Amino acid sequence: MAYMEAEDLTRFFLRKKRVKEGGFRRWVARERETVKALDHASFQVEAGELVGLIGPNGAGKSTTVKLLTGILTPTEGACRVAGRVPWAERKQHVRELGVVFGQRTQLWWDVPIADSFDLLREIYDRPRNDWAERLRQISAALELEPLLRTPLRQLSLGQRMRAEVCGSLLHRPRLLFLDEPTIGLDAVSKLALRSFLKEENRREGTTILLTTHDMEDMLALCSRVLVLGHGKLLYDGALQELLRRYDTVHTLRCTFAGEVTLPPPPPGCVLRRDGDAVEVDYPPAQVPTGDMLDWVRRAGPLREMTLKEQNVDQLIARMYQELAL
Amino acid sequence: MKTLRLRPYLSAFRVRALLETQYRGAALGGLVTQMFFGLVYIALYHALYASGGAQETPLAEVVTYVWLQQMAFRALLSADGELNERVLSGGIAYDLCRPVDPWGWWFSRAVAQKLVGMLMRGAPMVFLQFVLPVGYRMALPPTWGAGAAFAVSLMAGLAVIAAVDAIRSAVVMRTLDARGVSAMIQLLMMIFAGNVIPLTLFPAQVQGLIRFQPFAQALDAPIRLYLGGGDFLLTLGMQLGWLLALGWLGRGMWRRQLLRVTIQGG
Repeated sequence: MAYMEAEDLTRFFLRKKRVKEGGFRRWVARERETVKALDHASFQVEAGELVGLIGPNGAGKSTTVKLLTGILTPTEGACRVAGRVPWAERKQHVRELGVVFGQRTQLWWDVPIADSFDLLREIYDRPRNDWAERLRQISAALELEPLLRTPLRQLSLGQRMRAEVCGSLLHRPRLLFLDEPTIGLDAVSKLALRSFLKEENRREGTTILLTTHDMEDMLALCSRVLVLGHGKLLYDGALQELLRRYDTVHTLRCTFAGEVTLPPPPPGCVLRRDGDAVEVDYPPAQVPTGDMLDWVRRAGPLREMTLKEQNVDQLIARMYQELAL
Repeated sequence: MKTLRLRPYLSAFRVRALLETQYRGAALGGLVTQMFFGLVYIALYHALYASGGAQETPLAEVVTYVWLQQMAFRALLSADGELNERVLSGGIAYDLCRPVDPWGWWFSRAVAQKLVGMLMRGAPMVFLQFVLPVGYRMALPPTWGAGAAFAVSLMAGLAVIAAVDAIRSAVVMRTLDARGVSAMIQLLMMIFAGNVIPLTLFPAQVQGLIRFQPFAQALDAPIRLYLGGGDFLLTLGMQLGWLLALGWLGRGMWRRQLLRVTIQGG
């Protein structure tokens, strides 16, 4: 049995709408509409995996996380984490669980973060020594030590997020949910957080489930992704494979020495002029890059050339488009 | 058997109690208000008793009753807005990811807030008694035993109030707004705990009924012990009985709410 299992996991919401027309009826009648936040999703995650959950806004990512944390109950289907049904055995389940919801805070606003961590220790009822040891280890890795006596409200966004991540890991959870942990962070903070999470996963064997819109996060952290759209699980597999599938356009940009007459490009290519430069979009699956180089050489004396792949965001946008999300 | 871990609830108690001590301005305001209300009520009862018509309860007892009610008034107030804030901000999602029983959590906080809030207003009011004219002053309990019984029973009364407050918080989980339910419960509390009119002044025919309803266990029951009336063990038994019943109800309500939680967005 896998560490985490979801079987036909489904959650519907009722969305109430006031009726638009009609005098009295407007006050009494309500239209109800069922929103399928998650629609029969099945997947398994092994202990120690680092899995990314991606999909456009409203795809069902947060609902999935909330079902797996036990905050929400499923409408249909079932899920188990370490053999437990999260919502039915909530207290035992969350004892082994760490969560970071990127847009909310779990620490207390007005007190130094060290005091918040102390309070968490009492809530999790953990031994003092172990807690201190863990705090030393994590705060060193996240460079939080100089900030421990500072109230949360005086920290910058990046510092705050590091404090949140620290708070979610002190009780040695076996499973960590991260909901957009890098939202709003600068490049340095992002890199630091990523390498910390990777290390944590490697050293402690913590299973990590990450939702993010930041594809660089995904590339850096997750070898496996689950793609959700309209509440359905659309893809479950390696991130690289997913990217290969949607990596359909490369662009070659050349400037030539002097005036040249361009031979017709191979079929499937699109030719553009951009000032002095020439840009050709080509499908790498059909036209090998070598053929394109031959074509460039035939055109004339080359001065400068760059080759661009699409960035991950474009690939994902293309995937969302293709899947009609 | 599952082990009951008390530490999380003790820390909820401690943190909320510490927070309450920060609200010194509010305590001062409450002190002034409660002194004012106490004096007005007592002036009214002086006028009522002077206008004739023999009352079963002596005026001196009514004066003491009114002061004790005013001293403990803070405990009746449902003043903890944090749950409402947690519900509205979605921070409740974090709370539900903690290995604690939410009923126990909010119950512990309510006890802390009510106890500390009450002490901060009530204790100075005891000393202010000395500057009042004699007819307006509250009396000491008739015996040491009555005083001790009062103290124990008052703690049980606070627990009853906190259990009512935990029911209120379960309702907030459902309605997503604390104002309606808080106003309703507070009105019920003030009337049926004897804060508006001492329950001892109600006609003898309804005494049997009015003493046994849950809100009377909050403040009326301890005050009767202070005045030297009522049987201590019987009173305490009644209080604990209601505490269990209200706690059972509140926990059940919380459990039901947890199964239908919806947390919107991101």
